[in-house]
Amino acid sequence: MKKLIELHHINKSFDDQVILDDFNLYINENEFITLVGPSGCGKTTLLRIIGGLESVDEGQVIFDGKDITKLEPNERTINTVFQKYALFPHLNVYENIAFGLRLKKVNEKEIEELVKWSLKLVNLNNYEDRKIDSLSGGQQQRVAIARAIVNKPKVLLLDEPLGALDLKLRQNMQYELKELQKKLHITFIFVTHDQEEALSMSDTVVVMNSGLIQQIGTPEDIYNEPKNRFVANFIGESNIIRGKYLGDKLVEFENVVFECVDTNFEKDEICDVVIRPEDFDVVSLDKAKLIGIVTDKVFKGVHYELCVDINGKEYIVHTYEEAEINSQLGLAIDPFEIHLMKVPQIEKA
Amino acid sequence: MKKHNIILPLYIIWLIILVLIPFILMLILSFAHTDGLDFSNISFSLTNFKEIIDPVYFDAYANSIILSFLASLICLLLAYPIALTITKFKNNKLKNIILIMFILPMWSNMLLRIIGWETLFQPNSILNYFDISLNLIGSPIAVVIGMVSTYLPFMIFPIYTVLNKIDPAVIEASYDLGATKTQTLRRVIFPLSLPGIYSGITMTFLPSATNFALPERLSAGKINLLGNLINSNFGKTFDYGFGSLLSVILITIIFILTIFINRKDKDGDLLL
Ligand SMILES: Nc1ncnc2c1ncn2[C@@H]1O[C@H](COP(=O)(O)OP(=O)(O)OP(=O)(O)O)[C@@H](O)[C@H]1O
Ligand SMILES: [Mg+2]
Repeated sequence: MKKLIELHHINKSFDDQVILDDFNLYINENEFITLVGPSGCGKTTLLRIIGGLESVDEGQVIFDGKDITKLEPNERTINTVFQKYALFPHLNVYENIAFGLRLKKVNEKEIEELVKWSLKLVNLNNYEDRKIDSLSGGQQQRVAIARAIVNKPKVLLLDEPLGALDLKLRQNMQYELKELQKKLHITFIFVTHDQEEALSMSDTVVVMNSGLIQQIGTPEDIYNEPKNRFVANFIGESNIIRGKYLGDKLVEFENVVFECVDTNFEKDEICDVVIRPEDFDVVSLDKAKLIGIVTDKVFKGVHYELCVDINGKEYIVHTYEEAEINSQLGLAIDPFEIHLMKVPQIEKA
Repeated sequence: MKKHNIILPLYIIWLIILVLIPFILMLILSFAHTDGLDFSNISFSLTNFKEIIDPVYFDAYANSIILSFLASLICLLLAYPIALTITKFKNNKLKNIILIMFILPMWSNMLLRIIGWETLFQPNSILNYFDISLNLIGSPIAVVIGMVSTYLPFMIFPIYTVLNKIDPAVIEASYDLGATKTQTLRRVIFPLSLPGIYSGITMTFLPSATNFALPERLSAGKINLLGNLINSNFGKTFDYGFGSLLSVILITIIFILTIFINRKDKDGDLLL
């Protein structure tokens, strides 16, 4: 795979507040890469740096082998779907979408075809003549997507492009965008708050927190093998328990010894154990390795979410069968469902 | 909402006393012939209407339109870059200070400023110290310069207001889609600032076209505008009928233009 974009040692501060701290990232050609992280962690800033709308304090942006750090946004073959749409209020839908094509002197007939094509893509047939302020938030968002995609850029930056859409439409658009990315061979750099969206659409997920990369990996890696507490908590729900590695694929927590699959720990090393709520098996009390008291239950549609008190600590357990509040619950965990994380040096002391 | 209930009737009474009644009186007078303020021999006819198309007055009409058009155009060409530059300042305090510097002259008496220009335009002025003699008095240039200097702030302000309101993200979107700075100015910033330009033009063109003190002083009475015509009918020849007719026509034109501007200016925050 070819590296299309390389970010080298990017530093960016606003008024002494460090937003990106020695940030390094490679993005491959045709990759669908998603940035996730809490609000204010620098996702939009990162996209703006790639798009050329924000300068860097230090570091380089390399595009296709060339240093583009100093290039103006209009000199980059990158288009953006802005977080707040940024549509042209004086132009109708057609002219908004045609804006980029007009600048490239595409002939009128081709413009018309492309605008129609892109409107169909975002499910807005026959909206050509509508004024921007007559559109709903979701419709504006889709026009913003069409306006960027119609230029068929090499790289598309999408800053929470589906945030204003309802669930059904969002799922549709997720599918359409993914298909489009594959068909047009566009590199997508996608920002979202929705971790499910991140996991289901991306080739690669980048989890960020306060300007630092916490973990980069495939969606499976990120979900199944979070590197630290932050990632484990941010991506999906997790039960994180302090434990001790006993060697020979054995780990002890809650005073019980479990089999696990991790090996890269020293004997007697303190570690964090991650167990996803859906990875607990509810078993009869005599077969259980852990026994807790159900303190709360919430029906979630497909499953029940139970709060279980084990030795005074609260665990979240997902199960398909209902359980009575205040009843005893027996739990077991398969070895491959137990994931161990290194504990940061400072916390060990 | 309560507040409106008290202010609205007051406002309407005000409007009736100060606008509607005088207008109706003038409308009636435009059909009338009197001996000055002596209304005993008053008679009504349409002759005043015939008189307005008398070629004697065409000069005044043409001067009004051409000179104020020129003045507005120059105001626009000066004001646009000024307004655009002010919006570029990041610091809001600095923006306001610069804006006030341009608006400040408006608060001094207009006649005083015109007399200032008048002395400067004389063949013999303080500029003689620098071996310069402008000698512009009586020329259309003097009148246009006077108009531009008087009404420039009225052009800067509405344009600045619209430019300042343009969402920076929209301009970034234009760059992002491949537009250069010039293309962005032409395709995004300029069209979005049109309402400000319309209202700036009304606020410079109308008062320029109807001014009478300014052309009288700077042209040494040689160039007449519509305002001078009205002024001399009321103040010199005492032809109240004809003067009223001219005023009524002027008010109608202003009224139509204002409606047009209001249409373009939906937020209603452009007219000073
Ligand atoms: N122009 C600016 N001036 C000062 N601070 C800024 C500026 N732009 C962004 N910031 C700050 O930089 C930080 C990162 O902002 P950014 O918009 O990149 O966050 P984000 O990850 O996109 O958040 P969200 O998910 O809420 O969109 C925030 O603390 C923000 O306040
Ligand atoms: Mg953001």
